[in-house]
Amino acid sequence: MRKRAVIALAAALSAPWCLQAQEADTLAAASVWSVQVYPVVKPAESVYLPGAKAAPAQVADVLRRFTGVQVKDYGGVGGLKTVNVRSLGSEHVGIFLDGVQVDNAQNMQVDLGRFSTDGLAMVALYNGQKTKRLQTAKEYASGAAVHLDSVRPLLFDQDGGRARLRGGSFGTFQPSLQWDRQLGPVTLRVSAEGLTSNGRYKYPYFDTTLVRENGDIKSLRLESALFGQLRHGDWRVRVYGYGSERGFPGPVIRRASGFPFSAERQADRNLFVQGGWNQDWTSRYATSLKFKYADDYIHYNTHPEKNPMALPYDLHYRQRSGYLSLAQSLVLADPWSVDLSADFQRNALDSDAGQSVTPRRNVVTAALATRLAWEDFRVAAHCVYQGAWDRFLTPQAGGWTRENTFRDAWMPSFSLYYAPFRWLEVDAFAKRSYRLPSFNDLYYSLMGNSSLVPESAAQTGVDIRLEHTSGPWSFSGRISPYLNRIDDKIVAIPTSSQFRWTMLNIGKVDVAGLDVKADAQFWRKGWSVDVTLRYSFQRALDHSDPDSRTYGNQIPYIPLHSGGVDLCVGWEDWSFTWETVFTGARWSRTANTPDYYIAPWTVSDVSLFRKMTMPAFKNRAMLPELNAGVTLRNLFNHRYEVVQGYPMPGCNLLLTVEYSW
Amino acid sequence: MKKATLLLLCGALVFCACRKDPVPEPPSKDADLTGQKVDVSGFPESARKLFVLNEGGMGANNATLDFLRFSDGNYVTGAFKKMNPSVGAGLGDVGNDIAVQGDELWMVVNNSGLVEVVSAKDETEIAAIAVPTPRNLAFDDQYAYVTSWAGAYANGSYDENGIYTITDSKNPKGQVYRIDLKTKKVAGNVEVGYQPEGVACYDGKLYVANSGGISSQLPPYAYDNTVSIIDTKSFKVTATVPVQVNLKYVYADGKGNIYVTTLGNFWDVHSGLYLLRPGQGNAVSKVADYVSASALLGDTVYCIGTETEFDWSASSHSYKSWSVQGGNKKDWTLNVSAKTLYGLYALDADTFFVSDAGDYFNPGTVSCYYKGAKRWSVDAGVCPGHFAVY
Repeated sequence: MRKRAVIALAAALSAPWCLQAQEADTLAAASVWSVQVYPVVKPAESVYLPGAKAAPAQVADVLRRFTGVQVKDYGGVGGLKTVNVRSLGSEHVGIFLDGVQVDNAQNMQVDLGRFSTDGLAMVALYNGQKTKRLQTAKEYASGAAVHLDSVRPLLFDQDGGRARLRGGSFGTFQPSLQWDRQLGPVTLRVSAEGLTSNGRYKYPYFDTTLVRENGDIKSLRLESALFGQLRHGDWRVRVYGYGSERGFPGPVIRRASGFPFSAERQADRNLFVQGGWNQDWTSRYATSLKFKYADDYIHYNTHPEKNPMALPYDLHYRQRSGYLSLAQSLVLADPWSVDLSADFQRNALDSDAGQSVTPRRNVVTAALATRLAWEDFRVAAHCVYQGAWDRFLTPQAGGWTRENTFRDAWMPSFSLYYAPFRWLEVDAFAKRSYRLPSFNDLYYSLMGNSSLVPESAAQTGVDIRLEHTSGPWSFSGRISPYLNRIDDKIVAIPTSSQFRWTMLNIGKVDVAGLDVKADAQFWRKGWSVDVTLRYSFQRALDHSDPDSRTYGNQIPYIPLHSGGVDLCVGWEDWSFTWETVFTGARWSRTANTPDYYIAPWTVSDVSLFRKMTMPAFKNRAMLPELNAGVTLRNLFNHRYEVVQGYPMPGCNLLLTVEYSW
Repeated sequence: MKKATLLLLCGALVFCACRKDPVPEPPSKDADLTGQKVDVSGFPESARKLFVLNEGGMGANNATLDFLRFSDGNYVTGAFKKMNPSVGAGLGDVGNDIAVQGDELWMVVNNSGLVEVVSAKDETEIAAIAVPTPRNLAFDDQYAYVTSWAGAYANGSYDENGIYTITDSKNPKGQVYRIDLKTKKVAGNVEVGYQPEGVACYDGKLYVANSGGISSQLPPYAYDNTVSIIDTKSFKVTATVPVQVNLKYVYADGKGNIYVTTLGNFWDVHSGLYLLRPGQGNAVSKVADYVSASALLGDTVYCIGTETEFDWSASSHSYKSWSVQGGNKKDWTLNVSAKTLYGLYALDADTFFVSDAGDYFNPGTVSCYYKGAKRWSVDAGVCPGHFAVY
């Protein structure tokens, strides 16, 4: 009996990965003793990953197909990939791993190319305000948020695991191993993943073809997590280590023959330990405690001895951060609840760059939220305060002195959810958020400007969701208009020397956009078909300087139109996925002239996977499975650039074999 | 058939008729290029074209060459790409200097590692010479001299095919490369100070401004402050003269005065103009502070500067102009209005061109000031900064 239930569950989890998006019931009430506490809004997009047959290897590839998201990709396996939501800029997009922000005080950008989908249960995007019980204060404070959530492994035996091998073009070889074990009330997960790739691919260089050089990467990730269940609570601890060594191939420009484009290398080491403890103390009061300590190291070297054109930099950065968060939730009278969250974070950066200013930053974030949540009508109001104290060295006449600066901001926001009919849901939000200037903006960049103020983003938006199910068919749609305004945007300006830059709060951007998504699904007797259409309109206008001739033009790299089509077909143990991503015309400058025009591009990826049940080697509840597949990316070998000067690879192949038990 | 014969005959007649007169210049290959029309009345008749080099942004491969044709007042943008479609990559990454030598236009394309030589008549490519991180150039009658930061990173040598190989990567000093004007090949190099910038040639000697622009960003965080003097016959450094930190441009007035500008240290030493007198044992004296843009015309250096130069957040600056002749500061007034004053050029004592880099990211403008008043302004490329006249 138990075995049958397990098999049914396994079958439900074996659909093509894009079908999983609708599976996760993210609006289910939290499991409080007696009181139902609903989260107020749904994520704009989410994907449930476990059991998916052909989930992309990198989080960046999952995000690429979320409506309203632009992934800025410098190309190649090791190339930087950052995410921009609704023209806000990647600094406004918080990346949260199990509710704790993956932060980078140095440049406020998180390279999503480094995040593997291994071990993740859910990738979710919140455009406006995520408002759920027991959020950290930082979760309220970022403009848009990408949440990467792991779950406690579901074990049907004493242990389970997965061995996977990915490999293909550019000499890519990526083995990974994951092992889960039940130790009494505690579940242990250990995983390891290695990657090597030579990063060599052909690209058109004006009228000839060249091979991208110096784009190779080697990396290793080791991770261990403990998940514990308590009476009315749970806890988890994760220890993470990542190391990589990679080359940056540099922009493609005119270069005298004999001089390479780049010989830049970077070695990184990231270590962190993070954890959380959620506890319901009474039927009305619950707390969540989270912590993180991270120690990151970067060594960047331009290797002038190999490239006479390189600026001679050999820089070391060590960034340490500590983070502690306490969130409390109290149900005053069902359905009225109040949450109070407070976070403290300390960042310290030591470096031999920029005359060793050794900045230290202490940030306090506090959030007060109140919610009224019935099943079909929910409202929430949040107020967030953030204060940041910086301490850094500055040159003064007669030597160096320590200086302090303080920046703070209030960030109010409102969320509303209304479901008048079973087939119609409406979400609306209004929000103002700020992002602190990064250490690079303030103290590095060759001539940082320590008088910068935080960059602000004001957002309003509505999500209208429609759903209809009829027999084996189900349809869903989403229409989301929005308005964003960015003020005091931090912009880099060169000084009288090309090699010295400074930062100014001079930008203003107005964004008016619309995200549309339509999805049709069909399930019958071993067959499943899912078609998704995505479209995004973004008019992001530069309103910085009314006297400028570029006033009112579209800002760089934001396409007016973008979208895509996904088709997933599952039959018995087979699954086929077709995905097309379209990005319309863009400009690389605010001057929207033919000189700076970037042609539109359309790229299609296709994959075929098969899952096979293997004979059990012991008397086990779960039968082992072999899953094998082939993915062809950029099927039509389209030549394109996401970032000007950084050509993307042509058609390439990725093979996957995995065995899970 | 008859018509064709008649035409041929006419053609022959015209041809014969022409032979007797002095040969007129055939129309230049770039005669079809047109652009924004501007007023060129009153400009000196000896000049045919004003070239403008737009630096472009680092890594964006968008250095461009514009020219203003004095015969019909057309301001043509992107002329290099238009006249050299076979050079697919265009002019390259970060144009840094430009100069006319005879019928040739020489351009330094810094981050492409090239000295690009084109015909000054029609902008068609003559040679592209590989020089590591080239900065500025000067000529005598036999060679072009190009300052190079190569030594900041590595030193190397050329083989007979002109391919550069690194031989020494520890020497942090810069170089001056010598290029033969006839063969367009590198014919030797000499070590100077840290990150050399401007260079001028006078009386068999080269005067090289060493900046230390990169040294200042690396331990021990110090600028260079010297002018290297090179004897062109022996091609060796004969003297090294301290002037001021972070030197930029050098002008020789042809009368024994060498002027050197500094950018200052962006902190407490301001930009300025200094005088070096080779005839007085290389004695150095300060002429004045604040030089944002400067230009040499005959024996006069024209300067425009602002006291608020290190206030990056200032929305606008008030610029002061002055000139120097024979080592003496003189009154000269040019009321420029520019968001980001970037380059200055003197065509004659009445006609000045001023470039504005705007936000440095989008295309800037070139303005003409005639007899003290602004006459017109045209759209140029990104960071228009360097001028030359043919």
